[in-house]
Amino acid sequence: MTEEERRITYPLDAGSYSLLYEIGSGVSAVVYKATCLPLNSAVVAIKAIDLERSRANLDDVRREAKAMALLSHPNILRAHCSFTVDSYLWVVMPFMAAGSLHSIISSSFPDGLPEPSIAVVLKETLHALSYLHGQGHIHRDIKAGNILVDSDGSIKLADFGVSASIYESHPSSSSTSSSSSFFNDMAGTPYWMAPEVIHSHVGYGIKADIWSFGITALELAHGRPPLSHLPLSKSLMMRITSRLRLEDAHEQCGKENDKKKKKKKFSKAFKEMVASCLSQDPSKRPSADKLLRHPFFKNCKSPDYLVKNVLQAVPTVEERFKEIRIGGRHPDEADSGGSASPPVKNRRVSGWNFNEDVFKLDPVYPEESDDKCAIKCIQFSGDELISNGDQEGNKESKVEEEELAKKACEAPPNSAILKESLVPNLVSLLSSLELQRGMVMDVLAHCGCKDGKEQKVREQREQQLLGYVRSLQQTVVDLNLQLQREMKRNCELEEALDSVRRRSGEKQRTTGT
Amino acid sequence: MKGLFKSKPRTPADVVRQTRELLIYVDVNWNSRDAKREEKMAELSKNIRELKSILYGNSEAEPVSEACAQLTQEFFKGNTLRLLIICLPKLNLEARKDATQVVANLQRQQVHSRLIASDYLEANKDLLDLLVSGYDNVDIALHYGAMLRECIRHQSIARYVLESENMRKFFNYIQLPNFDIASDASATFKELLTRHKSTVAEFLSKNYDWFFKEFNSKLLESPNYITRRQAIKLLGDMLLDRSNSAVMVRYVSSKDNLMILMNLLRETSKNIQIEAFHVFKLFAANQNKPQEIVSILVTNRNKLLRLLSDFKTDKEDEQFEADKAQVIKEIAAL
Repeated sequence: MTEEERRITYPLDAGSYSLLYEIGSGVSAVVYKATCLPLNSAVVAIKAIDLERSRANLDDVRREAKAMALLSHPNILRAHCSFTVDSYLWVVMPFMAAGSLHSIISSSFPDGLPEPSIAVVLKETLHALSYLHGQGHIHRDIKAGNILVDSDGSIKLADFGVSASIYESHPSSSSTSSSSSFFNDMAGTPYWMAPEVIHSHVGYGIKADIWSFGITALELAHGRPPLSHLPLSKSLMMRITSRLRLEDAHEQCGKENDKKKKKKKFSKAFKEMVASCLSQDPSKRPSADKLLRHPFFKNCKSPDYLVKNVLQAVPTVEERFKEIRIGGRHPDEADSGGSASPPVKNRRVSGWNFNEDVFKLDPVYPEESDDKCAIKCIQFSGDELISNGDQEGNKESKVEEEELAKKACEAPPNSAILKESLVPNLVSLLSSLELQRGMVMDVLAHCGCKDGKEQKVREQREQQLLGYVRSLQQTVVDLNLQLQREMKRNCELEEALDSVRRRSGEKQRTTGT
Repeated sequence: MKGLFKSKPRTPADVVRQTRELLIYVDVNWNSRDAKREEKMAELSKNIRELKSILYGNSEAEPVSEACAQLTQEFFKGNTLRLLIICLPKLNLEARKDATQVVANLQRQQVHSRLIASDYLEANKDLLDLLVSGYDNVDIALHYGAMLRECIRHQSIARYVLESENMRKFFNYIQLPNFDIASDASATFKELLTRHKSTVAEFLSKNYDWFFKEFNSKLLESPNYITRRQAIKLLGDMLLDRSNSAVMVRYVSSKDNLMILMNLLRETSKNIQIEAFHVFKLFAANQNKPQEIVSILVTNRNKLLRLLSDFKTDKEDEQFEADKAQVIKEIAAL
């Protein structure tokens, strides 16, 4: 924002604004397109945050407002002003006519954007990140839904602090499953979250933003973040266990996919850039400044390139929002991923997304011992798969979770932390498994009326899937038991320690007197 | 060849001295609109940024304590802090933010295990009045506010602000229409009234009458939702603090206070209701309830019991349930 723009003073009362229509909504906030009457009906966006409903305490809201008031960069959405209207906080912001990239993608580019457009978006986003990080801010919620585009192709990063997303609609937010309410307590939106954010005890760092930036790159390339067809809890588990594996559904649905899939080729520079952001070790991820010097951004077009190549194909923000609204009433809308999972076009099938293209992200991490030569393979669909872990499939997941359980039991100093992060995860995993099971049954019932041969195949699949679900459930139950046992043991040990201490204290006292 | 003419690296003290000279220049020559002033302004911004990177380190280096000590000593030897605060409105946004961070950091720097910032402020208390009045100016409010909150980390400085006439201004600042500024003022207000326990207790007992009169009428009975919500939370924090127990006993013996609290209990806002309960319970738990308090509670016994029995927190809260049971018992037994 230029100095001049800042000098315009926006009025601080609701009466000076006329709300036109909703352009986005979240759990505790609604975003409107509005006009400011005293300023010649200048168009603005107003985010109305329900302070009574928002979970964030008021200090967080204050910090976010302050950050937004003091940041000044062409690629960062800055608030014009903010004021309270009864129990709502109104944040008046520039209106970004083309909406968020998430909404652009889901309305017009379900399979992702072409690479030159991605480069433009990412480069502008990096400028914003570089400024933010230079100012000592961490965004913590980088994703396509928070990258906004204006009608001239200019790009701004939005939403500081982790309240509801600007311009982001969560049609399924009302169906709060147990898992989604749990995740509301965590910063960021789960599919974009870096492993060390999930391991929240490690703390956030600037490099967590870089991870999310990498995931956002994949989201722009494919239309959705990796692992997003999995339920949230599962997706998180996979990242905690340091493996993003090829999913079993891939083998089963591979043939169908091949027909549908549009072959997509991405440049080596792009793949290399994304891979560097997704390094498991935060210190190995490059800084925003370093990324800006990456060859991928060398011949990057200017933002107006987006006008012709992206924006022309996209309906207006208000049309898009209406569409989502109408779609939101569909009974099949219920989504295993909870409120945070993006609306996907062919929802009707199920939350599993069996018919989506195969996995793109398959970094295979070798054993912890040799992390120097971490081989990461980013598989872009249509490209050749270069991974060594893709056939391990079913068994692997069990092994993995057993490993996890072992870790939980073997590492007493960490066990408390592990428990803290594991128990809620396991609980939510269990509930989401139940949910998926129901959905799988639904799908199968749906397919049941097809011809005989297919039905047999499907029945086989059903058995396989149910077996998989059951074995996972069993593992979860086992893990829970083990954890409980471990906790009990811990308690006993602590008691013993306590009594030893007490006894030695008494001894000292008696010898003292 | 260029390297030959390069001046030798400046010491932290040099950077402070140069910053001071530039500040004096900018202060004196503000009205001349020439290229030279622009140049000096740019140089000043660069110097302030350099001060910041000495104090906080940068991406390549951690801060060095010896350099920080040198900088701090030179800074407070001269009148740099005063100049910087006075000239802040003339700086651009980035330089203002840097200056604010520099001032914040300096409050914690020790030289020969003394916080010399505190000594300086004690000798220049008018600067605190200046910082408080920043809330009147939209452009500098957040910067002065942040500096002020760092300065009142020093107990003697907090005492000065509490006892100054400025304290009364906060009741209005908290309700400014601009949310950024109002909430910053309210954070400072809270800090003043909770940070230094003994000073706060002394202030509250000395200034009980006017302070709670203002607090009740302007904040707890404000038409503004956010003001009421923040005020009732702060009241709870103050009264439940052990060091303020004398003040608490006095507060919960007043019928007028009880009436205000009972009105807050009826609010539609859950957050306000819950915070109000945490203060209300003190009235009920008071073992020496004045007669007029007892009679209000008895008159409204049925309504109160009904309200309390329907009263639940969103999350399970054992302490809350226990408190509630106790209050219900107390009221039922009257």
